[in-house]
Amino acid sequence: MRFTMLPQVFSQLFKKPWTNKFPAKYIPSNTTEFLKEVKKGNAEINPPIETPPGFRGKIKYDKDKCIGCKLCIKVCPSGAIEFKPEEKKIKIYLARCTFCSQCNDICPVKCLSMSDEFLLADGNKYSKALIVE
Amino acid sequence: MSAKATTKTTYQIPIGPIHPALKEPVKFEFEIDGERIVDVDVTLGHVHRAIEWTGMHRNPIQILYLAERICGICSYCHPMAFSLAVERIAGIEVPERANYLRVIHAELERICSHVLWAGVAAHEIGFDSVLFLTWQIREEALDLTEYLTGNRVTKAITMIGGVRRDITSDMLPRIKKSLDYLKDNFAKLKKVYLEDKTFKMRSQGCGILTKENALKLCACGPTTRASGVKKDVRLDQPYFAFDDLDFDYVTPDVLTGEVNGDVYDRIIVRLLEVRQSIDLIEQCIDKMPEGEIVSEPKLAKLLATLKKAKGEGIGRMEAPRGEVFHYVKLNENEYPYSWKVRAPTYSNILPWIPMLKGEQIADIPIVAASTDPCMSCTNRVAIIKEGNKYELNKEQLHRLSVEKTRRLMR
Amino acid sequence: MTSKKLTPEEIVDSFKKEFKTKITDARIEKFTQGSKKTEMTHIWMKTDPSIIKDITKHLMTLQKYPHFAVSSGYDTEKTIDIVYHFSIYYGKRGEEISLNFTVSLPKTKPEIDTISDLIPGALIAEQEKQEMLGIKVKNIPQDRRSFISDDFPKDVYPWRKDETGPKKMVRNLHEAKK
Repeated sequence: MRFTMLPQVFSQLFKKPWTNKFPAKYIPSNTTEFLKEVKKGNAEINPPIETPPGFRGKIKYDKDKCIGCKLCIKVCPSGAIEFKPEEKKIKIYLARCTFCSQCNDICPVKCLSMSDEFLLADGNKYSKALIVE
Repeated sequence: MSAKATTKTTYQIPIGPIHPALKEPVKFEFEIDGERIVDVDVTLGHVHRAIEWTGMHRNPIQILYLAERICGICSYCHPMAFSLAVERIAGIEVPERANYLRVIHAELERICSHVLWAGVAAHEIGFDSVLFLTWQIREEALDLTEYLTGNRVTKAITMIGGVRRDITSDMLPRIKKSLDYLKDNFAKLKKVYLEDKTFKMRSQGCGILTKENALKLCACGPTTRASGVKKDVRLDQPYFAFDDLDFDYVTPDVLTGEVNGDVYDRIIVRLLEVRQSIDLIEQCIDKMPEGEIVSEPKLAKLLATLKKAKGEGIGRMEAPRGEVFHYVKLNENEYPYSWKVRAPTYSNILPWIPMLKGEQIADIPIVAASTDPCMSCTNRVAIIKEGNKYELNKEQLHRLSVEKTRRLMR
Repeated sequence: MTSKKLTPEEIVDSFKKEFKTKITDARIEKFTQGSKKTEMTHIWMKTDPSIIKDITKHLMTLQKYPHFAVSSGYDTEKTIDIVYHFSIYYGKRGEEISLNFTVSLPKTKPEIDTISDLIPGALIAEQEKQEMLGIKVKNIPQDRRSFISDDFPKDVYPWRKDETGPKKMVRNLHEAKK
């Protein structure tokens, strides 16, 4: 049959588009202006689709439980964790993190876990939002 | 670059290094007579990232994540083949449930990869509505991967001695829903690709690789199975739990009864493998036994065991594109002594030369894409004709391909 | 395809009979997979570099088109070792056998013969060994670099662990500023 796709394409005219319109229905011409409008309350962001449980997002660190054993530093593939010797705690640089959650698995007191936050874009690699300590 | 003198009838086109229909930069030099290709020359090495050297300065658990980033689409096969090699050296026994889980993830990745390729092939021909249809189907498979492993592409589910996450019984209804969706849409895809006149016109008789050339050049994967050679690591040297499952080699004569070795045969082989993968996942879910998912859950102890291991080993796996081969040598040190990776595309590049001789320029994208090379797109083609240089960029090369389709349809 | 398939022990014996003392240190490793515990075999042999072409010819009498995967190499103190990885008897379920041949080249004269006239698929692997380890492959059809760019210095060999290695060219960017 010559035009197998034609019925499919025709029926698409009557269906709702399949994509989720995140963050807004049409692309804003200036993103920083758009974010300022959202802060003021004039515009709204459509939420993204829900992440499933077990999603590997930004890392969360429970400082009180940490014992300073340095096993997470040994096993991190990209060298994103730094040891602070005077406090015996760690500092994680999210700009280098690969979100593999290997440090979660090896920690003996389970003080590291992954949240579901993934909107982490930033202009500066070493800004406050991208360092966990 | 070789400085060949151009004669009056042939001229040379360099294509590359960055290139339409390829995922790693590769440089071709074609010698063209009119519209026909007379000779081909291939140069590699534009994305060399010194991964093997980096691996010799990392411990085995860190190498797993480094190996995962060798390729985005076969990102499950490289750490798995490395893990097979290390397990054989150190004598680590993988529990049975882990073997079945490994098969499920491997076949899921094969589905995602083949459906992506189907969309790319349609785009090269000029059939963009099919591209969006197939990639919409692929979204369902990617959502299932995210549900099972935590991320859509870099799965991070390999561990030396097993896997990192289990599939519990409350996850099974969601898996079944996705598999049913994929099965229904597979029938739709099969009708579009195998019975539509556009695909048949562009792909039959085009880019032929004979059985003898495929054997001599040691090609692997669907490229060689479409020429009639029965080579599949899952069946030749069964690993994981493939020996308990019921399946067979996929060659084009299963569907059509004859083997030509052209682009149409490669489309048939890949679509039939998608069906086979869905079937294998269902068999695994039925047969999976209870038990542990990793042989040594305490990772510090695992690292200590590997530090004392000595010997050499190889690990081979069937990636969506062919045979992935890893060679590891451990020497009682924290870091491996030697590590060699061979991705399947490096064996499938030399067959391009016999496939492209005699074809037209407008067929270059579809023939190069039909071997499913592991690379990413763009760029320019420079044509030097009698001293006047003019350039074709990606859009113009793609337009040549689309215009040929329109010409044939008239 | 050949008439009869040999067992791994018979394969090792046929090589030893043909090449006598030049084959040393042959070992057969068997691994089991799956619940039926079927076996797969890997054969490792150490040989002399001068007979690598005859070994390939002998392998082609066992199967007309052996599958050549890749050749890997590493640098010990005084020698450079190259390992050739073949496999034969593919095509039927569970019958493939992997064969690995290790040759040792002295660092003073690292030369070996090519096998790409018998197996054309070995071309890229041999070019890679030339540029990464600094060996010379005689009679190779296309003598040029396959993975490293042309402006990389000519006497730096990335996989070597001695003074010709790339240590001076490495910069750890992530430790530059934290």
